[in-house]
Amino acid sequence: MGTVGPWLATAARLLLGVVLVVAGALKLPDPAAAERAVRAYRLLPEGLVGPMAFGLPVLEIAVGLALLTGVVVRTAAIAAAVLLTGFIAAIVSAWSRGLQIDCGCFGGGGEVAAGQTGYPGEVARDVGLLLVALALARWPASRLALGSPERTEHADVR
Amino acid sequence: MSGESKRAAARQRIAEKRAAEAAARAAAERRRRTILGAAAAAAVLLVVLVVVIVVQTNRTSTAVDAAAPTGTAGDGYTFAVGSADAPVTLDVYEDFQCPVCAAFEASTGDTIDQLVDAGTVQVDYHGMAFLDTSANDRYSTRALNAAAVVADAAGPDAYAQFHDLLFANQPEEGASGLPDDQLVAYAEQAGATGEAVESGIADLVYGDWVEQSTDRASKDGVTATPTVLVDGEQLDNSTQLTPEGLTAAVQAAAGT
Repeated sequence: MGTVGPWLATAARLLLGVVLVVAGALKLPDPAAAERAVRAYRLLPEGLVGPMAFGLPVLEIAVGLALLTGVVVRTAAIAAAVLLTGFIAAIVSAWSRGLQIDCGCFGGGGEVAAGQTGYPGEVARDVGLLLVALALARWPASRLALGSPERTEHADVR
Repeated sequence: MSGESKRAAARQRIAEKRAAEAAARAAAERRRRTILGAAAAAAVLLVVLVVVIVVQTNRTSTAVDAAAPTGTAGDGYTFAVGSADAPVTLDVYEDFQCPVCAAFEASTGDTIDQLVDAGTVQVDYHGMAFLDTSANDRYSTRALNAAAVVADAAGPDAYAQFHDLLFANQPEEGASGLPDDQLVAYAEQAGATGEAVESGIADLVYGDWVEQSTDRASKDGVTATPTVLVDGEQLDNSTQLTPEGLTAAVQAAAGT
């Protein structure tokens, strides 16, 4: 994999890590808005709206921190891919049902002024991030990582 | 083969066996540590998850006894304008900073007023506040709070008048929002005057109520503004939010 690969993996870790930590952190200051954003998708019964709205940012931040610090990179990359797949499915579902919502990806209450939905951009961004996460899960060996799960898998990279 | 070399071969076999056993033990130890580490990480994550969910749930349920304006109808978050005997009910969800709402009010506001005056419709105004920014100094919240102050002081009809004034003079998106003293001036124009109006606007006295009003709209399934419903049927934003579209929908609902 040469010497460029591990640095690419580091860049992927930092990109995904920063996006996830920022996205999670922005959902914490206004829990009522986070609930509205989840409710706006009309996918969950009211009893699960709160736990999803408050639990999801914790998972995002946990996965993001694991990627930033470089511990259990492969596991974290797979978790990020699972999260992103869920996000994409939810956005596509809202889009296909004709809902007028903001994805609430980076905080906010999911409301939009009519006609100002941004589904194509939101989906494209998440698909791009998903591809990065999948690549990182395939080649998790990277520079500047605290953990070293790749030791056994990629003995050639030191 | 001499006895000496047999013994040497036996020793070597024993050494290899021991080395293999040591390697197996080390591998088992590594597995054990990995499993322990994963379990510990999962436990910590679970605890954090539960704590955050509990804390955030408490944060959303604090303002139960929030100050609410008088003169509301229904569930306490709407202001009803027009005759209660009107055959058709119009539900209007708006944010005072929403430009599409301002366009709707500019094109169709007069039509609504005429339908109200004719006794054909009663309008239920639902306020939402989700376009707060630091640049507009939380204008959505300040504007809806001010409208609630006006209704509290002078009734729903004054609310409607204040509402029309704010949409006719809507600040640009991204601009600084109307300052509080301008809101007070419009309140006076709508018929709400006095010390309580000024302090209510400046102190954001119904700030929690505004947040709950936005939550109420969310629970009503409304995520975009303007959302207009004629007897509970949502109008299509791209085709029906015109004088003709609204009139036709109201006539259909009234059965005339």
